[in-house]
Amino acid sequence: MADLFASPFFGVALSILAFWIGVKIQKKTRLAVCNPLLIASILVICILLVFRIPYADYNRGGELITLFLSPATAALAVSIYNKIRLLRKNWLPVLVGCTIGSLVSMGSVLLMCRIFGLDEAATASLLPKSVTTSIAVSVAEAHGGIPSFTVVAVCITGILGSIISPFLIRLLRVKNPVAAGLAIGASSHAVGTSKALEIGETEGAMSGLAIGVCGLITVLFSMFLSY
Amino acid sequence: MKIFYQIGIIFGLCWVSEVVASLLPFSFPASVIAMLLLLLLLLTGLLKLEHIREKADFLLANMAIFFLPSLVGIMEYTDILQQYLLPLLLICAVSTVLTFAATALSVRATLHLLERRKHHG
Repeated sequence: MADLFASPFFGVALSILAFWIGVKIQKKTRLAVCNPLLIASILVICILLVFRIPYADYNRGGELITLFLSPATAALAVSIYNKIRLLRKNWLPVLVGCTIGSLVSMGSVLLMCRIFGLDEAATASLLPKSVTTSIAVSVAEAHGGIPSFTVVAVCITGILGSIISPFLIRLLRVKNPVAAGLAIGASSHAVGTSKALEIGETEGAMSGLAIGVCGLITVLFSMFLSY
Repeated sequence: MKIFYQIGIIFGLCWVSEVVASLLPFSFPASVIAMLLLLLLLLTGLLKLEHIREKADFLLANMAIFFLPSLVGIMEYTDILQQYLLPLLLICAVSTVLTFAATALSVRATLHLLERRKHHG
């Protein structure tokens, strides 16, 4: 029986089923805290713990799903290409906003990691946490971070961002949809973007654009950063 | 069969990017190289959007599930997570607010400056 859980089909099927349940719950409750990814990960972890299935067995199927991360990052090019007109029209605000946003994100994380006395591996894992997961994981790995730790930080950031961004828009009186969209995308990547799409079309488009641009800028910054 | 060709194109591109990444003298994520290559191919018209549209839509729409196995991987690191949980939450919260504010305010200032220059010029 135990061997059956090591079949790749098990991991793939369990992941998809858990995610489907997560999406259903999100649709029912419409709460940002009920993030499908968060629910799905808790479900999978509970099942693995209850049935004493090793993570390595689950991950035989899990790896097949993770394989799609790089292609999904590449596909971001399509969403940038679809918004190329918007980018040409707003190239300066996009460039300024994403550069400053990425700098503040990495700078504030670095500073707080030092304050809390986190070690190098933990710091490297957290540093790229504001960009989309596949880019964040590559940056973290290149600097000796722990990928799982990065994914957790990226998910917390995304979920937090999608909850607080409507509140921040009111607090900071961000009336311009370009500014609001870029701020959401720069601070909370793809999870935030789904919230931005709910707020408005321009907000969603700018937020989606910020994912790719901030990802690129973060990669460039991290190359010159030694920590 | 169409979706199969599209998978072939995107996966092929990812492999080429890994080759490029291994040849570079510095470390640069292969997935970002793939993104830049794909954008370049689309902009130059060498690749048409219809060549990859369905596959790209599938990847973009289902982005979140591709992170699930890595996120579940945290169960292997419960000791580190317990040790760092509070700082982790604090760091995420504070830097998310700061990043949002910095981006929103700098974009607003840039738009404001552009607007003023337009009126003067």
